[in-house]
Amino acid sequence: MKIIEFETISSTNEKAKELAINGTLPWTVIVSEKQEIGHGTKGASWFSPKGGLYFSVILPQNNIHDSQTITILAASIVAKTIKEMFNLEPMIKMPNDVLINGKKFCGILTENIIIGDKLKLSVIGVGIDTNIDEFPEELKNIATSVKIETNKEVNNKLILNKIIEKIKNQFKTL
Amino acid sequence: MELKINIKGKEYIVNVEENGNEVKVIVNGKKHVFNSSTGIEDISFSHSPSNNNHSKEIKASIAGIVSDISVKQGENIKAHQKLLTLSAMKMENEIYSETNGKIKKVLVKVNDKVKEGDILIILE
Repeated sequence: MKIIEFETISSTNEKAKELAINGTLPWTVIVSEKQEIGHGTKGASWFSPKGGLYFSVILPQNNIHDSQTITILAASIVAKTIKEMFNLEPMIKMPNDVLINGKKFCGILTENIIIGDKLKLSVIGVGIDTNIDEFPEELKNIATSVKIETNKEVNNKLILNKIIEKIKNQFKTL
Repeated sequence: MELKINIKGKEYIVNVEENGNEVKVIVNGKKHVFNSSTGIEDISFSHSPSNNNHSKEIKASIAGIVSDISVKQGENIKAHQKLLTLSAMKMENEIYSETNGKIKKVLVKVNDKVKEGDILIILE
């Protein structure tokens, strides 16, 4: 598994799509310390300051229904990983958000490129509010971070490796 | 099956389609048809469907909501140009044209719900 790290990037999904189009191999992971234009579905912005864990994975050739399945499974994988590592009780808001105590701390966005009727590439992007100390006023009541919930700094690299490993294992079962 | 082959710096995109005894090998849009029962003597050449005048329908690969339309009726488009985006279960599916062509009709609007197999755009 190759991990390409950036200090800052417009969006890890955009970079992953660009790299995949140009032949970068599946299971390459693009991770950035912050995103300038992090986004969710329909262009909704995703607050992506330094401290969070933002990454995208180029998925192997699959079909669109597998892509949908892995999106849903990724939410469950994030929830399970955070529960195991930090003894928190995350809840999944189907299909792609993960909450702690009713507040969102993780969003997942899969993007597919279909040429004609063939799925050419898929990338799955995951944004996790890990070491975020505080949120802007408009997000304070609806967002949280692992650090806020545990009162301690967490290791983003360790969380990333555990999640990627689980996604890879899950993908083999599709 | 699509292959990218680089020979002395020149890139060839090769698609292979098999249908019974007939094997189509499309190299950079030019189609070569082989018959596996008679062998290489039965080679015929023809242009890719991308260059013909038949209408082509762009269908929804999955049920979802049209979240963005990037083209309009009458517009000339190029192969690999983005046509529209379909949001499905929080997945964004960007649909690109396979061929050069012209938009004959856009059958959907932003926020329309579509089922798998619904026709979204007709190309000419």
